[in-house]
Amino acid sequence: MQTTKNTTKNTTMSKTSLLALLALCVGGPLLFAQDHYVMSLLVASMVIGGIALSWALLGNLGGMISFGHAAFFGVGAYTSAVLSMKFGVPVLAALLLGGVGALVAALAMLPVLRLRGPYFALAILAYAHIFRILATEWTSMTGGSGGLSSIPPLPTLPGLDLSSKIGAYFVILFIVLVFAVIYARLRESHYGLALRAMHESEDATRVVGVNSVVLKGMMLLLSAFMCGVVGAFNAHYISFLEPDYAFSALWVTIPIVAAIFGGYRSISGPVVGAVVVYLLDQLVFKNIIPSGHQLVLGVLLVAMIVFSPDGLLPLLRKLFKGKFTRSKHAAT
Amino acid sequence: MLQLDKVSVRFGGLTAVNEVSLEVGSGDVVGLVGANGAGKTTLFNAISGLVRPTGGAIRFNGADILHAPLHRRARLGIGRTFQIPQPMHELTVRQNLVVAQRFATGRVDERKIAEVLAFTGLAEKADRDAASELALTELKALEVAKALATQPKLLLLDEVLAGLETNGKRRFMQMLKGLHEAFAVGIVIIEHDIETISQLCHRVAVLNFGQLIAEGKPAQVFSDPAVIKSYTGA
Repeated sequence: MQTTKNTTKNTTMSKTSLLALLALCVGGPLLFAQDHYVMSLLVASMVIGGIALSWALLGNLGGMISFGHAAFFGVGAYTSAVLSMKFGVPVLAALLLGGVGALVAALAMLPVLRLRGPYFALAILAYAHIFRILATEWTSMTGGSGGLSSIPPLPTLPGLDLSSKIGAYFVILFIVLVFAVIYARLRESHYGLALRAMHESEDATRVVGVNSVVLKGMMLLLSAFMCGVVGAFNAHYISFLEPDYAFSALWVTIPIVAAIFGGYRSISGPVVGAVVVYLLDQLVFKNIIPSGHQLVLGVLLVAMIVFSPDGLLPLLRKLFKGKFTRSKHAAT
Repeated sequence: MLQLDKVSVRFGGLTAVNEVSLEVGSGDVVGLVGANGAGKTTLFNAISGLVRPTGGAIRFNGADILHAPLHRRARLGIGRTFQIPQPMHELTVRQNLVVAQRFATGRVDERKIAEVLAFTGLAEKADRDAASELALTELKALEVAKALATQPKLLLLDEVLAGLETNGKRRFMQMLKGLHEAFAVGIVIIEHDIETISQLCHRVAVLNFGQLIAEGKPAQVFSDPAVIKSYTGA
C-alpha cells in the first residue's frame, strides 16, 4: 500500500515537474525573442537535445551504445536538403523524409545488431565514416566537399515565420516534444517492458517468446528516424551543409555528454542535459576560458558520473527532497 | 508431443549429450535425473533452443524445430525455467508475466495471469515489488509463473527445488503436484532428489555422461543396478 501511495505521489510530482519544464520551454524563450544570440543558442541546444534523446532511446530501450549517430544526423540533413533543393519537395515534408532517409541508412546497419558492447559501438562508428565519404564523393547529388548552400529555409505559416529564430525554436521544440511523447508511450508499452527486461538477461526474455533481434532493430530504426529529422531541421535552419559538418563527430559526442549529464535513463534528462550543458558552455565557460572551454564540461561530466551516475535530474530531486525533509523536521 | 531422436550436443571435444532419444506426451510428467555434468541442463537447452544440437532431430507436435530460434519455440508452446532464476529484474511480478504472455501468445489475458499468480502464491507480491527484491522461494515461483504465463504445452523445470529451505520446498512440492492437472501441461523436470521425482513423475529418464542409460517407471528405474552405479559410482 505504501509503495502504491509513493508511486502515485511520485507520478504526481513528475507530472508537475514536467508541466513546469514545459511552461519554461515555451514561456522562457519568449522573454529572449529579440535576442538573436540567445535564441540561436537555445535552438542549437534543442538540436543537441533531439539527438541526445534519440541516442538515449537506443541506449535505454535498445541497450546499445552508439558512437555513430552523426551518420543519421548527416543522412537526414542531406536527404531533406537534396529533396527540397533538387526535387522541389516542400520543406516540412522533406523534414519527415529526412528521418526516413536516416531510417533507410540504419537498415544497412542491421547486420551489426548481432554485435554487442564496444563491437557494436565501433561498427556503427565505421558506418558514420562510410556515409561521410559517400556524401563527399557523390558530388552530383551532394555538392561534394564544397557542400550545399542556399538550402530552402523553414516556411512561413500564417502569422508565424518558422525561419525566424523564435519560429525555428518552436519547430525544434515541437519535434523534440513529439519524440519525447513517442518515447514515453513506447517505454510504457509491452515492447518497452520487454526491451527493459532484455538488458538484464536477453535469454530470459527470448525463452518467453520475445524476438530480441527484431525489437533491437526497431529501436535502431526509430532512433535513426528521430535523429534524421533533427538533422533535417538543422539543414534548413542553417541553410548550408558540407560533409565534415554534417557528419562531424561533435554531433554524437556533445549529445552523449548531454544525455549522460542530464540522465540518459529518463526521458527529460537528455534534453535538460543538452540545454544546461550547451548554455553553460557557451554563456559561461566560453567567456571564462575562450579557448579550450570544453575542458570544464569534461570535468563537470566526470563529477556528475562520480557523484550522481543517474544524472542531473535525479541529483536535483535528491537535493530538493533533502532540503524539504530538513525544513519539515525544523518546523516540527 | 516432444520427440527427441538421437540428439547430440558437442562443445569442441566434449560430448555433453550423446544420441539421446526420448518421447514426452502431453499427459506425461517425466523426471530427468543423473549426476552433475550428466548433460541434463544441456538437453533442456537443446530442446528450448539455447544451444543448437550437433546431431539428431527434435520434433514438437509434429514440427521439426531443430533450427527454430528460442522465441519461436516459446511461441510453439515450450516453456522453461532456469536453475538460477532469471527474472526480468526491473519489472514487477505482474509485468514479468505480462511480457511472457504477450510475446508468447500475442495477447494479454488478465484472468489467466491472475490464475497463475494465485497458483504460484505470488498474487500479493504482483504489483508491489520489482523482481529484484524477491526472496529465493519467490524467485523460483516467479520462474514457474513466467513459464506458465506463456501458456505452454510442455514445461521444462530445471531444479526448481534446489536451494530452498524445508518449508519452502514443501510448499513448492504442493504446487508442483497440482501443476500438471491445473494447467494441462506435459512436464519434464530435472531434480536430484529421488523421493521428489518418485512422488511427482510417471516416468524417469536417467542420463550418465550424456547418454540415456535407463527409462521407465520410477520404482523400476531406481532399482536398476546401472542407475545405482551411475549415482554412487560403485
